[in-house]
Amino acid sequence: MKRIIIISIISLAVLNAVMIGSCKKSGDKPATTPVNFVVPPGFPPTKFNFSANPLTKEGIELGRHLFYDGRLSKDGNFPCASCHQQFAAFATYDHDLSHGFNNQFTTRNAPGLSNMAWESNFMWDGGINNLEVQPLAPITAPNEMAEDINNVVNKLAQDDQYKQLFRLAFGTEEVNSQRMLKALSQFMITLVSANSKYDKVKRGEAVFNSNEQAGYDLFKAKCASCHVEPLFTDFAYRNNGLTLNPYLLDFGRMKITNKKEDSLKFKVPSLRNIYETYPYMHDGRFWNLTAVLDHYSVGIQNSSTLDPLLANKIPLTATDKYNLIYFLGTLSDTSFTKNKNFEQPK
Amino acid sequence: MRTPLDKKTLLVGCLMAVLFCSACQKSLRFGAGPAPTHTLTIQFKPVVDGDSLEYGNTYQNIFGEPYTVSNFKFYLCQVDLLNTDSGKSYRLNKDEYFLVNFGDRNTTRIFLKAVPSTYNRIAFTIGVDSIRNVSGAQAGALDPANGMFWTWNTGYIMAKLEGHSSVSNQPNQVFEYHIGGFSGSDNVVQKVSLVFPLNAAIVFGSDRGTLMTIAANANAWFSGSNPTSIASTPVCTTPGVLAKKIASNYANMFEVLNIVSE
Repeated sequence: MKRIIIISIISLAVLNAVMIGSCKKSGDKPATTPVNFVVPPGFPPTKFNFSANPLTKEGIELGRHLFYDGRLSKDGNFPCASCHQQFAAFATYDHDLSHGFNNQFTTRNAPGLSNMAWESNFMWDGGINNLEVQPLAPITAPNEMAEDINNVVNKLAQDDQYKQLFRLAFGTEEVNSQRMLKALSQFMITLVSANSKYDKVKRGEAVFNSNEQAGYDLFKAKCASCHVEPLFTDFAYRNNGLTLNPYLLDFGRMKITNKKEDSLKFKVPSLRNIYETYPYMHDGRFWNLTAVLDHYSVGIQNSSTLDPLLANKIPLTATDKYNLIYFLGTLSDTSFTKNKNFEQPK
Repeated sequence: MRTPLDKKTLLVGCLMAVLFCSACQKSLRFGAGPAPTHTLTIQFKPVVDGDSLEYGNTYQNIFGEPYTVSNFKFYLCQVDLLNTDSGKSYRLNKDEYFLVNFGDRNTTRIFLKAVPSTYNRIAFTIGVDSIRNVSGAQAGALDPANGMFWTWNTGYIMAKLEGHSSVSNQPNQVFEYHIGGFSGSDNVVQKVSLVFPLNAAIVFGSDRGTLMTIAANANAWFSGSNPTSIASTPVCTTPGVLAKKIASNYANMFEVLNIVSE
């Protein structure tokens, strides 16, 4: 009797296990490796919705491949990385406007990419409300990557390496725009710059020299109300007194809101890695930081939407500018611009 | 010798059998109400007033302007069947979105499940709610690859009507209405509620399905509470006041033509 009970228990248990096993979708669905996003000390809470797009090692790796892949553009020449170069802190080095499909210029200076987990609206005019859908703008813009989303998806779906990368990241080989965009976002979210000399000073691991310290004191007094530490931006849209470029006729935020009061307003950019991201401003009109500081001290043009904080300009002596530029150099983060994890995959 | 099964064996056997049977069941639902066993198929039919609409054929709007249509699409969600006498309503699809594209026959028919009952109205939403406009990359009908998405100023195009008209002053005499806007005063999401033909109340039984044909009248885009001529307004491709006017016009483009059992 005991034997019958034992046999029946064992056999049913085995059957049961087999049945449970057979319920799993595709039997060989690979497990992903969760990646914990670490908020650097002193940084505010993040804005990115990690629960809707949890970071995984495989998703980030797929995103890195996509970021460097020219097939996201019409003629294969313009990956994301063509305008967002790592050595330039993911801006376009030494270019006011970047180059796009068919010998065209972009309409704005490519901003550096870092610390996007703390950002909720993207582009100079804030027109894009979620990092996941940001790549759609450059991919489809006729003067940038000039491609159709369906074409991109089809190109990737024919590539055996991508089939494998999508399977590792999302469980199946299926390539679709949602997966592509989520993976790109995962990679971009990992682009955290928080290890400059400034950060080390804040952590007590380094000290400013006297010029840097003088520059930092000036910065806190004269610049930090818009370029708020530690992200060095308040993400607000402000008119900083630049004249309208008569060729680009770019009114900034007004294009998004259709409101007159937003005319000539652009998002306050972060100053992290500012030495690497030159030239400066939304149209790249200033080729060095001296020109930028000259603008704030004497060049500001008055207009109805000029930011009130700049109504009296920002008076700076030559020594002030010298020291400020010294301080801004402490925002360069070589562990970011040389991070192997952000490089083009081999 | 045959060993008789005792109570213990039976108990263990039953237990294992229950486990065995439940192995694949995802979750048991209790008290979920009557099951939605009635299949409702909605067939959307493009028309211009009383006539069927064919892409490329010439029609006239209330301003007497001749036009052809080359693209006619809209997003649909939150379909309800209602009975205004009993006050009952039933939501047929919780989160699913449909993109009805009159250029693709596969998209003009949608299949839903309803709880059998007597209904006298159908209601649905035209557009994409604000949450889906701010939540990043979507899939299925909301895949941005479907061409109903603004990339430079995030947001879905809720409805599209494109074509040509000799009164348009635009290149190639196009007219183009891409209607979107989801936040605050720019919101163009439209609630639509339609009576059944002859104001009838109809029994949706459990043993059969229903085919409901709903007309979408292109001429409604130009008329209604905010008459808009092609000559004066050939293009609307941004959120704002004009988009809201056109959306409130097309909110009245639907009519239930007939309901048949199948």
